[in-house]
Amino acid sequence: MSKLYNVSSSPHVRSKLNTENVMFCVVIALLPTALIGCYTHGMSAVVTILAAVAAAVLTEFIFDKIAHKPNTIRDFSAVVTGLLLALCMPAGTSPVLPVLGSVFAILVVKNLFGGLGKNFMNPALAGRCFLLISFGTAMTSYQLDAVSSATPLADLASGVEVDLASIILGTSNGVIGSSALGLLIGGLFLWCIGGITIEIPLASILSFTVFMALFGGQGFDPVFLLIHVCTGGILMGSFFMATDPVTSPVTSTGQIVFGIAVGVLSGLFRVKGSAADSVSYAIIISNMLVPFIDAYIVPKPYGHRPPKEKSSGSKVPKSALILCGITLIAGLALSGIFAMTEETIEEQKAMAAAESYKEVLADAESFQTNDAMDSAIAALEGGTYGTDFGKVTINEAFEGVDGSGNVVGYAISVTSGDGFDGNITMAVGITADGTVTGISFTELNETAGMGMRVDEDAFKGQFVGRNVSAFVLNKAGGSTSDEEIDSVSGASISSSAVVNAVNAALDFFASNAN
Amino acid sequence: MSKNTFRGGVHPYEGKELAKDAPLTPYLPQGDLVFLLSQHIGKPAQAVVKKGDEVLAGQVIGQADGFVSANIISSVSGKVKDVRKCKTAMGTSAMGIIIENDGQYTLAEGVGVETDPASLTNQEIIDRVREAGIVGMGGAGFPTHVKLMPKDPDAIEYIIANGAECEPYITCDDQLMRTASSEIVKGVEILLRLFPKAQGLVLIEENKPEAIAAMKAACQGTKVTVRVVETKYPQGGERSIISVVTGRHLKLGLLPADLGCIVDNVTTVRSIYRAVAFHEPLMERNFTVSGPGVAKPCNLTVRIGTVMEELVEAAGGFKEGTDPKKLISGGPMMGFPLANLQVPVCKNNNALTILVDDPVEDAQKEMTACLRCGRCNHVCPEGLTPQQMAVAAERKNYDRYENKLYGLECIACGSCTFICPAKRPLMQLFKQTKAEIMAAKRRG
Repeated sequence: MSKLYNVSSSPHVRSKLNTENVMFCVVIALLPTALIGCYTHGMSAVVTILAAVAAAVLTEFIFDKIAHKPNTIRDFSAVVTGLLLALCMPAGTSPVLPVLGSVFAILVVKNLFGGLGKNFMNPALAGRCFLLISFGTAMTSYQLDAVSSATPLADLASGVEVDLASIILGTSNGVIGSSALGLLIGGLFLWCIGGITIEIPLASILSFTVFMALFGGQGFDPVFLLIHVCTGGILMGSFFMATDPVTSPVTSTGQIVFGIAVGVLSGLFRVKGSAADSVSYAIIISNMLVPFIDAYIVPKPYGHRPPKEKSSGSKVPKSALILCGITLIAGLALSGIFAMTEETIEEQKAMAAAESYKEVLADAESFQTNDAMDSAIAALEGGTYGTDFGKVTINEAFEGVDGSGNVVGYAISVTSGDGFDGNITMAVGITADGTVTGISFTELNETAGMGMRVDEDAFKGQFVGRNVSAFVLNKAGGSTSDEEIDSVSGASISSSAVVNAVNAALDFFASNAN
Repeated sequence: MSKNTFRGGVHPYEGKELAKDAPLTPYLPQGDLVFLLSQHIGKPAQAVVKKGDEVLAGQVIGQADGFVSANIISSVSGKVKDVRKCKTAMGTSAMGIIIENDGQYTLAEGVGVETDPASLTNQEIIDRVREAGIVGMGGAGFPTHVKLMPKDPDAIEYIIANGAECEPYITCDDQLMRTASSEIVKGVEILLRLFPKAQGLVLIEENKPEAIAAMKAACQGTKVTVRVVETKYPQGGERSIISVVTGRHLKLGLLPADLGCIVDNVTTVRSIYRAVAFHEPLMERNFTVSGPGVAKPCNLTVRIGTVMEELVEAAGGFKEGTDPKKLISGGPMMGFPLANLQVPVCKNNNALTILVDDPVEDAQKEMTACLRCGRCNHVCPEGLTPQQMAVAAERKNYDRYENKLYGLECIACGSCTFICPAKRPLMQLFKQTKAEIMAAKRRG
């Protein structure tokens, strides 16, 4: 018998493409962003990236060894996960954080679900969410040149002028991978070489923009929309996280539906949510829709589709309509609940206010109105007080009198509209000589673990006993003078709103106390 | 329709430069010839000769058994050595007639007598095609006379000669179009006589400029036109061609004639012309021996029944210093691998491709889990979702595979498997699943 040759099912040739170079292309696409991040944030960014990537690869290696699986670190997928995670982290955190995040991402999210191709949510994003929940403060203290400062999105929320150019270049504050330019270059590169399809990023960014235009509160203001699209991880999420093939639908139509879900949820969480991040959660929730989308959205083969004249891609608008419908219903439900509970909320607010006055002016036995202050408040007509305090309104003011009828001080209720999440209302107690006796919050919806910490004595206690004409917020900490108030780390917006409100109360007191 | 290609498809390494400019050279068989009785789709032919009979070149040695079947013609003169089971290129066994070549090539009576096609009636034309044993020579092997008798001849809008030779390495149609262009055009004109309402087209991929020029020149002054299409695999597939020409797509249960098309390979069209105008049955065909593992890649005119081993020798044997691992009857995308070379050339075999390495073996080592990247969905020329089909097939969810995913529409072109970065053997899985579903249907 002559020699036998190999037999196998056709095709007998294969493309050069393999898992390794698919993943490697993602690494290349992330390089511009990573480099700009390292340039902006310096060594701390390099350390974070190296720690995350090394931990991811090592975890994969060790898991493969323990589980007696073939070594998969050479397929670059662990590198991609580590890199993506690092780019979603602020620079300057302890290297333990990226390491923990990577271990969680690779071990729990990816390998325990069966490894590459089997995980149901994006490992890097799951790692980020794990860190956000566990180390909220560290994950949201953004430092630039060793100084904590607000992110552009936070500045935008507090009405501070935002430098669009620095956002696009990526030299503004934020996570390491926040350069819009770098992300766009990488994303488009990946699209051009066929690494990703354009459906998801396009659908996600467009639907997010539309959502923000409708519900963002500023209408179709191009600058406002551009800032929102370029910040807070929309580009990173749309181009690199949502497009992770393992956790996104495989069909074009499915991808459009998925992209819209990501965009709309991101917008919803950004406008209505109180978490520090919107895109990560939006993508992770959308990831869970993927098996459903893939099961139901299957394109008909060409021969089964109606002739061209009749069909105009009827499926896409239908899905879009359904999603828009869901969004509308959710929005209506939210506002409905708000309207029903508003009245009760008002009553409780009044009671809370009365209690808070006693708290901030403990020396007073009873409170009475002060004509000068009342008329000053009436003159304001509920409008913004002064020009230096942001969106601050003065609600009420009372004199506190002791048992013998002497005026011991004033309790002033102020509301700042500059909170990270809605209004901050507080009572400020001021003695007759202008010393602050305390502040007490009656309305505070800031982020748990971050903005909420303005209610801790470490922060609000700083005001007590000081007699100054106005306070100044010190974001770096370590204040020495009476005027300076140390900001709550990672919550400069909330801190700033409180300081402004207290200053407004002091100013109001100085102008109207007799 | 202005677009020049179908949706999906891939661009494998073409390898056409190896044999592209090697002219068609006649090759005369040295050893015995093997005529399989099933070289076509449909019922195998019945042997009408027995051991010891003398046969002439052009003589019918296997009689078509029924309507969808085809005659088997001896391509040489000589003596019947045996009628027995023989190995086929697919690795199975089938009845074959073995003929000892006397080297005289004495023609049977009436073969090669020139007739003016204009003097024949339509029925006589179809009869000549049937007697000549012509089948689809591009690979499918569907009996051509059946295609020429659609239910509604007036509904035929296009007669398409398929010169989109999209399989890598194969160049024999290219060479045929360069050298026998006028015969191909005359073949189309004969078909146009049968279907006067149709228009004649020759479809050629743009990577064959010489063939395009030759065919355009031959079409001058006729009603046949050349249509140049994008180079992309599987452009030569019947469904892809119909999709490009009509903008409509075939599906299971529909025949090309239902969309107003008759598609025949250029080699088939030329054979039709030879059969009608010269009463010449199907005795030889153009054939490419190419691939990285062959010394002198070439295009040959070979006698049907020649054993493949001889053709490797005709091409100078294996390339020096190589130890080819894989020999493929046909091209690398859809061809059948041969365990050895003791198989004959059939009517529908157009090439022998010799690969030094075995990419399939390498792919098995590289295989990873499915990344769900969706590349397979984008390249599928049928608009299927191979990724989902693979999941359904692995879970043996045949209901979803067949009814939701339309998995039976798969034409086994292998584009998905070619492109898969995770190197998953998708097409193997689909072929197997299709076989299982069809078997279950037969059981009822």
